[in-house]
Amino acid sequence: MNGKTEHNCDTLIVGSGIAGMQAALDIGDAGFNVIMVEKSPSIGGKMISLSKVFPTLDCASCITTPKMAASSHHPRVQMMTYTEVKNISKKADGFEALLIKKPRFVIESECISCRKCEEACPVYLEDEFEYGLGVKKAISIPFTNAIPQFPVLDEEKCIRCGACARVCPKDCIDYLQKPEEITVKAKSVIIATGYEITPMDAKKEYGENKLINVISSLQAERLLAPHGPYGKVLRPSDGKIPDSIAYVQCAGSRDESIGVPYCSRVCCMYAIKQAMLLSGSLPLSEITIYYMDIRAFGKGYEQFYNQARAMGINFVKAKVAKISEDSQHNVILRIDRQEEGSKPQEVKHDLVVLSQGLIPSRKEFFGLDVKLNEYGFIDSPAKTFSPALTGIDGLFVAGVASGPKDIPDTIMEAGSAAMEALNYLKTAKIS
Amino acid sequence: MKVNTKFIKEVKKYGAFDISACFNCGNCTAVCPLSAEDVSFPRKMIRYAQVGAEKEIEASLEPWMCYYCGECSDTCPRQAYPGEFMMSLRRYLISKYDVTGISAFFYKFPWVQNLLTIAIFAVSLIFFLSYTGDFQELAEKIEMAFPAYVTLAIIAYVFMFYKKTIMDKAGKMLISFDFKNIWETLIHGLTQKNFSSCSDTDWTRWIAHLLVMSGYTLTLIISNLHLLEPLRIHYGLFDISTLLVFYATFAILAGGFVMMFRRVVKQVQSSSFSHSTDWLFVVMLFLIGLSTFATHTANMALGPDSDTVSILYKFNIAVEMAWIVIVVPFTKWIHIFFRPMAIYLRNLKKEKQLV
Ligand SMILES: Cc1cc2nc3c(=O)[nH]c(=O)nc-3n(C[C@H](O)[C@H](O)[C@H](O)COP(=O)(O)OP(=O)(O)OC[C@H]3O[C@@H](n4cnc5c(N)ncnc54)[C@H](O)[C@@H]3O)c2cc1C
Ligand code: SF4
Ligand code: SF4
Ligand code: SF4
Ligand code: SF4
Repeated sequence: MNGKTEHNCDTLIVGSGIAGMQAALDIGDAGFNVIMVEKSPSIGGKMISLSKVFPTLDCASCITTPKMAASSHHPRVQMMTYTEVKNISKKADGFEALLIKKPRFVIESECISCRKCEEACPVYLEDEFEYGLGVKKAISIPFTNAIPQFPVLDEEKCIRCGACARVCPKDCIDYLQKPEEITVKAKSVIIATGYEITPMDAKKEYGENKLINVISSLQAERLLAPHGPYGKVLRPSDGKIPDSIAYVQCAGSRDESIGVPYCSRVCCMYAIKQAMLLSGSLPLSEITIYYMDIRAFGKGYEQFYNQARAMGINFVKAKVAKISEDSQHNVILRIDRQEEGSKPQEVKHDLVVLSQGLIPSRKEFFGLDVKLNEYGFIDSPAKTFSPALTGIDGLFVAGVASGPKDIPDTIMEAGSAAMEALNYLKTAKIS
Repeated sequence: MKVNTKFIKEVKKYGAFDISACFNCGNCTAVCPLSAEDVSFPRKMIRYAQVGAEKEIEASLEPWMCYYCGECSDTCPRQAYPGEFMMSLRRYLISKYDVTGISAFFYKFPWVQNLLTIAIFAVSLIFFLSYTGDFQELAEKIEMAFPAYVTLAIIAYVFMFYKKTIMDKAGKMLISFDFKNIWETLIHGLTQKNFSSCSDTDWTRWIAHLLVMSGYTLTLIISNLHLLEPLRIHYGLFDISTLLVFYATFAILAGGFVMMFRRVVKQVQSSSFSHSTDWLFVVMLFLIGLSTFATHTANMALGPDSDTVSILYKFNIAVEMAWIVIVVPFTKWIHIFFRPMAIYLRNLKKEKQLV
């Protein structure tokens, strides 16, 4: 472990998704100092990897990038990326957090983001930003509009050939960098650690993640994104343009047999959104959404759904019970067709997207004694009036960390968390 | 049709399930390896039950197509236990097809059935033990009366089943003489081969089921046809009747133990619930098997004149009395006749295009 540094701030924000960034900007604008910690190499969270957002179909990166730029340039917001929060303890005068800054093996103060190292590197690996659909180099800048624009070297996959170090004009490749311990003393903390999607193999009947043409909803977002891995929508097994695409709704939500009985709220809407985008890019393809019931809960959402129906997207009421494939990797779904009575049937599609649910990104919150609901989301003691409270003075929550929600709700809750934090900073007796 | 929300409550008396939780997603029907377009279940049955469509349920062949592999219950997003619901429907239907109404009564008051069984057994035993005449002759009379009784019961059931599922729909009698249909019916009846369609075929369960079923049928035949006369004949080890008794006892004990073990240990869905009437059947079957076996081996060892053989035989016939009079016609185990029959009727429906 290299060096130990200490920092002080008014509010420590854990997570820099749209929730974390919004809260950081609100608190910074009000004149308080913020440290925003992000475990990934770039800020932006899940939202920066989305294609477009419902119900407006705004380009996701076009509205996320300005937020990322604003929070990274804000004079009172300090961001710490590629840094993980290990532990937070409540002290008499606030909170003390222990962070670990992971080594990028690049001297950040010197790097000019020229990407020469990336070009020189001979090693290719799976790109996690593309959820495995594309490739990147062993040393690379995480994605085009990442902030900060520093490359990260993959310690495991790098073969230590030295090519990057030779081409780097600033001589800033440092193979010997060590993790750094950072202590942050903060008067208040906002947890905005977001979510993960239910794993592809959560439901054993869904092929256990072994069917190549069954993809995750986040992979589908990437296929549809303007800077996506292939630049168009292709199916993974053979690069064919899919003629028929199916969405499996509630694949990982509302299912007691996999332990996620709640509705994840966003998956109906994002599936409809993706279906619309797909019919834009593949106007001749058939798109079918297999659903239990469509939950279009927000302002303008029902219209969005009706618009999708009007566009010719097929909505079939059926819970997909089993997924398998034929010898050409076409995907076979087993459903009970309910239109005229009840008929168990097998239907075939070229490409299938699982509309996975949202589950908490962590099991445990840094040793803090916060109350979680039965599904592991942070529970507010006053859900109806103050959703951002956690039951611990000075500790607040924002975004999906407190339960599944869409971007507009996340932003509202982040604003509310910022208000609660500011109120706390102004009124509580903390030195 | 009038919606009858109380219907679910009625069926709940026959088993433990929670179809009020069902949100009608169809996962169960799609995952079921035996459900097909012409006989689709369990969701359709659940819908019928939710709205209280009693007539439709009574006219359904679907419950008899389900072999309770439990896949639907394992994967149901609402833990509504659709598999157990299908099982309960079978119990319910048996009581509905029973013209006497006794089955329904027994299902609701299982202790009455238990008590009656014990009473008949006890009274018969006391009577037999104090009987001074030729007991072999009496036993013959009793055993020759059984087939009439059992056949009557089965005919009544089968007729009601046929009436509710075919006649009431078609408005007339329909019969299929198609050889293929009759053949399929026999094969299914003999092998219960639909078991093997379950995707993780539970071979242990299939074998256990087949053993118990064959032992059960064999015992019925042995007693109903009065095949044994242990107070008159001295049986040898290689007599046909000895082999039959040995097989029946072995099949009942081996199969029964596996089933009981699974019930008690509750490791599998399909055995995790049992109605107390199921237990009565199993216990009685064990007793029948054991007492027949004991009488027979005693006969082989001691000869037909031995007092031990006589006592054992009286015990054996007393158990048989209770079993045949109270248990056989009034528990779900009559279902071994319904299953193949349902296959026949399903083919009949197809043949006559009756939907
Ligand atoms: C496929 C898909 C499509 C969607 N489409 C839409 C849409 O069109 N419109 C819409 O409104 N919503 C959409 N959503 C929902 C949307 O993604 C969420 O509402 C939103 O991203 C939530 O933001 P967040 O900040 O709460 O969480 P996240 O975006 O998950 O951010 C959490 C951040 O915290 C970081 N973090 C986690 N743990 C730690 C730690 N220990 N230390 C430091 N940092 C940590 C993570 O790395 C991450 O950057 C979609 C969701 C999915 C799955
Ligand atoms: S040293 Fe490692 S990161 Fe640098 S170019 Fe070689 S393989 Fe790539
Ligand atoms: S939002 Fe739709 S797909 Fe997602 S869990 Fe709810 S009902 Fe299912
Ligand atoms: S799977 Fe469960 S919830 Fe779905 S229809 Fe069947 S019983 Fe109902
Ligand atoms: S228990 Fe098995 S056979 Fe019966 S309905 Fe369920 S899945 Fe089908």
